[in-house]
Amino acid sequence: MTLVESIDTARNALEMRGITKIYTVADDVVVALDHVDLTVASDEIVALVGPSGSGKTTLCSIAGGLLSPTDGSVVVAGKEISDYSGRQLTEFRRDSVGFVFQTVNLIPFLTARENLLVVDEIGRRLGRVARDRADQLLEELGLADRAANLPAQLSGGQKQRVAIGRALMNDPSLVLFDEPTSALDSNLGDQVVHLIRNEMKARGTAAIIVTHDDRITHYADRTVHIEDGRIAK
Amino acid sequence: MFLALHEMSRARVRFGMLIGAVGLLVFLILTQQAIEGGLITGFVGALRQQSAPVLVYSVDGQRTLQGSVINPGLEAKIRGVNGVAQAGWIGQSTFTVRVGGATESDAALIGYQHPGLGDPSRLSAGRRPVGPAEAVGSAADFAIGSKVRIVASGPAAPTAPVFTVVGLAKDAQIQVTPTLFVPWAGYEAAVKAANPDATIVLPSVIAVRPVPGVADTELVDRINAASADADALTRAQAASDTPGVAQVQQSFQLIFLLYGLVVPLVTGLFFLIITFQKAAALTLLRAIGARSSALVRSLLIQVVLVVGGGIVIGIALFAPLTLVSLGAITIRFDPGAVLFWSVGLLVLGVASALVAARRVLAIDPLEATTGGGGL
Repeated sequence: MTLVESIDTARNALEMRGITKIYTVADDVVVALDHVDLTVASDEIVALVGPSGSGKTTLCSIAGGLLSPTDGSVVVAGKEISDYSGRQLTEFRRDSVGFVFQTVNLIPFLTARENLLVVDEIGRRLGRVARDRADQLLEELGLADRAANLPAQLSGGQKQRVAIGRALMNDPSLVLFDEPTSALDSNLGDQVVHLIRNEMKARGTAAIIVTHDDRITHYADRTVHIEDGRIAK
Repeated sequence: MFLALHEMSRARVRFGMLIGAVGLLVFLILTQQAIEGGLITGFVGALRQQSAPVLVYSVDGQRTLQGSVINPGLEAKIRGVNGVAQAGWIGQSTFTVRVGGATESDAALIGYQHPGLGDPSRLSAGRRPVGPAEAVGSAADFAIGSKVRIVASGPAAPTAPVFTVVGLAKDAQIQVTPTLFVPWAGYEAAVKAANPDATIVLPSVIAVRPVPGVADTELVDRINAASADADALTRAQAASDTPGVAQVQQSFQLIFLLYGLVVPLVTGLFFLIITFQKAAALTLLRAIGARSSALVRSLLIQVVLVVGGGIVIGIALFAPLTLVSLGAITIRFDPGAVLFWSVGLLVLGVASALVAARRVLAIDPLEATTGGGGL
C-alpha cells in the first residue's frame, strides 16, 4: 500500500475490495456477492439500491461485521476486518459501527433512554458520560419527553428515531441502515430520512442506506446499484 | 445486571408468579422434610436419645422394643461375651395413664436398670431421677412437676405407681407416644400394677457398653456370633432398623425426588419459553455487539434471583410453622436441611437453565437483518 493509498484508507469510512460471498446450500453453490468493490468516504451517505436477492443486505452485513466474506478485503475506519474472529467481529460491531435494521430495532422491555444506554452497558461502560450522551441524543432527535417510554408506547417514527439514536450511541465511523422507511408512511419516511441526513452530516459520519425507496436516493450523496451480486457500473 | 434487572422490573407479574411458585415448592419441601424428621423422631427418638451404645434384642422381637423379650439364658450369654464392660436391662411397655387431673391417655414407659445405660443421654430441663417414683419425660408432652399415675384396675389400683416428672428430654418419644424414662424398680412396679398376675418382669432388650478399645460395631458382631437368638444393634442401627422407619424414609425420598424434578422443570421451562419469546431482542443485542457470554450471564442472574427469591419466600413461610406442633409431631427448623435444599435447588435451577443458555449461545446475529431471531 502506497502512502497516498494509506491516507485514502484513513479518510474512508469503508473500503471493500473484491468482496465475494458464496453460500453452499446442500449441494448448490450460491454466489451472493461477486467481486464487489465499494468505497464510502468518511462523511458520505450512500444509497444502496437493488432488487430483492441482489445482495444488498449481504453487502451491508459484511460491511457491518455481521458476516465474513468468502474472499476480499474489508476495511472500516482503517481496520481490516475480513479476517476477524467471531469475538473480534462482536467487539467491532459494538465499538465501530451503528445499525438500524428493517424491523426489530428496540429491546421491548427497555425504555427509549435505556435502549440507548444498553450500547454502553454491553460496551465501554462510561457511566455518566454515556447517560449524558443518551440524553443529548434524545434531545436532538426530539425524544426528550419520550425518554421514559417503552417501545410499545412509541409511534413508528419515534421508534425509528430511537433506533437512530442507539446507532449513534457508540460514536460510530459508519452507520448501516437497512430499509429504514419500509414500515413508515411516505410523510413519516421523509421525516426520518431527513433526520438521518442531518444527523450524519452534523457528525461527519458515513452511512449506507439499503433501500427500495427511490425518494431516499435524493437524500444520499451517491447511489450505488447492485444486481445479481455485482455493483452496476 | 442491567438487562437482567430491567427485564425483571418490567415483567414483575411474570417473574413474581414464578418466584411465588418456587417459594411455595420450597415451602412444601422444607415442611415435608420437617414432617419426615418429626415423624421419624416421634417413632424412634427415644432410641436415639437413650445412652446405651449397643442394644441387644431377641431375634423373635423383630427389632421392636415391645416385641422383644430377653430370657435369663440369653441374658447370661450376652453378659458373657468378651468385650462387654457393662450390661443392664431395658424394658418398654405402653400404659394407660392419667397426667394430673386430666383424662386418661397412653404413655410409654422405658425402664432402665443402670443410669447411663438406657436413660436419656441429655436433658433439656430438670434433673435425673433419684428414686423409683421419679421420671424423665419427653419434653413435647410433659412438664417438670407433672404427676403421672398408672391407671390400673382391680386390687392393684390403690398401689399403682405415680411418677413425678423431674427432668425433660427433647426428641425422646417412642412410637409417637408421650414417653417416660423411669428407673427399673418404678418400671417393674408399673408393669405389675397393670398386670397383677405377672410374677417376673423380663427386660425387652439388654443395654451393653463395650470395654475401652472395643468398637460398638465390633461388640455387636461378637454378641451376634455368640448366640443365634441375639440381635445386637448399635444405637443408630436400632433407630434406623426399627420396622417402618426405612419405609417412611423411602416414601419421603420419593416425594423429594419428585420435587427435585419439578423445581428445575418449572424454572427451566419458564426460562426456555421467555428465551424464545425474546429471541428477536436477543438477536438484536448480539447484532449490536453484545457478547453471548454477557447474555448468558444475564439469564443466569435471573435464574439465581428467581430461585433465590423463591427460597427466601419458602423459608419465610416455613419458619413460623416450626413454632407449632402438628399433634404429637414436632416440626423443627433444621438449618442444615434448609441449607442443603437452598444450595441444591439453586444448583438444579441453574442447571435447568442450561438448555435456555444453549439457545442463547446459538443465536446468529445475522438474523437481525431479516427481522428474525430464530433460535
